[in-house]
Amino acid sequence: MKPGVYSALALALALACHYRRSVVPEIFEKSLRAFLIGYPKRCPPVSHSSIARAEGESVGESLEKMASGFLTHQQKVLRLYKKALRHLESWCIFRDKYRFYACMLRARFDENKDEKDMVKATMMLKSGEEEFWANQHPQPYIFPDSPGGTSYERYECFKVPDWCLDYWHPTEKAMYPDYFAKREQWKKLRDQSWDREVKQLQVETPVDGLKTEALPPARKEGDLPPLWWQYVTRPRERPM
Amino acid sequence: MASRVLAQCVRSYTQRSARIIFGNITTRAAAVSVANQRHFCFNAGSQRKALTAQIKVSSPLVQLCRQYGDLPPLTVDTIRERVLYVLKLYDKINPEKLTGASHFMKDLGLDSLDQVEIIMAMEDEFGFEIPDAEAEKLMTPQEIVQYIANKKDVYE
Repeated sequence: MKPGVYSALALALALACHYRRSVVPEIFEKSLRAFLIGYPKRCPPVSHSSIARAEGESVGESLEKMASGFLTHQQKVLRLYKKALRHLESWCIFRDKYRFYACMLRARFDENKDEKDMVKATMMLKSGEEEFWANQHPQPYIFPDSPGGTSYERYECFKVPDWCLDYWHPTEKAMYPDYFAKREQWKKLRDQSWDREVKQLQVETPVDGLKTEALPPARKEGDLPPLWWQYVTRPRERPM
Repeated sequence: MASRVLAQCVRSYTQRSARIIFGNITTRAAAVSVANQRHFCFNAGSQRKALTAQIKVSSPLVQLCRQYGDLPPLTVDTIRERVLYVLKLYDKINPEKLTGASHFMKDLGLDSLDQVEIIMAMEDEFGFEIPDAEAEKLMTPQEIVQYIANKKDVYE
């Protein structure tokens, strides 16, 4: 390519960077109202802990408190703190240096934690978010299994649903007689409770549509939580 | 790293024991097997991964087996030990008062920011992320152990 083209490209890139830098604060200005109300957040899908617990009500109910999908001020502050610490960890790779700056950050959060004026607190949170945006790491450390990580959904293609077990040949099933006998009992239980689960879901779904993907816990005594089968028979995290 | 030192100690041990007990052939087999283990002993080198590839010292028979790098398998007891160990290392927690069911806010007098730090320490310890929505609900060590066992499919 000709040298003139290179300089034109460089100029275009510099202009783009300049405009991008000036656009970002404007976005924050415009979304102040949305920020003050509470930016809506989609609740995560079926929380495993809501069904796995023996006393499943507590977590299911707390999930339902979040059914609106809006975060409280405290939750926003905690999320900012966590992601600030993670990006700080990406910047300060030596552990003692990171520890020092983490303590400084914690002191900054602590000195303002008793603010009672919510408007001022929200403005502080907003400025904190902007500061985070300005100082974030370009390639922060992301855990392998979390979204954006190296092994995110790597094993999804090997996760076989449980209904494939029904298609095994009888000679294969004879290799695990205890398991398949127990499986038949579980399937009977599923068939019995299916209608009640569906009825509960139909009753509890709001008329104008769902607000969250979180499933409600079992309400009646002796009832199983709705759609428990697909949780109980979920494939392993690392399928063999 | 520590695992290489360990591998060298084990290799010298197996070589010595193999030489004492068996003849030349087994020595060569032991050397080859441990060389294989060292070759396939994949250590990520980062401070987050634990020691990998348990090196089996099985006497009298030294097996030629391929070993892949992986973390040691988790059990509920090991998870609980590690969680309590990490919590005892945290300087805002009194180790004497710490039990499996002690609530962070009510019993141990911690802050929500401290709880975030604790959850981050757990993430670093076990090597996977705990999403915010589920992390803010984990208030006792027992809950943390249960959550990790749920996520990692650890039974009993």
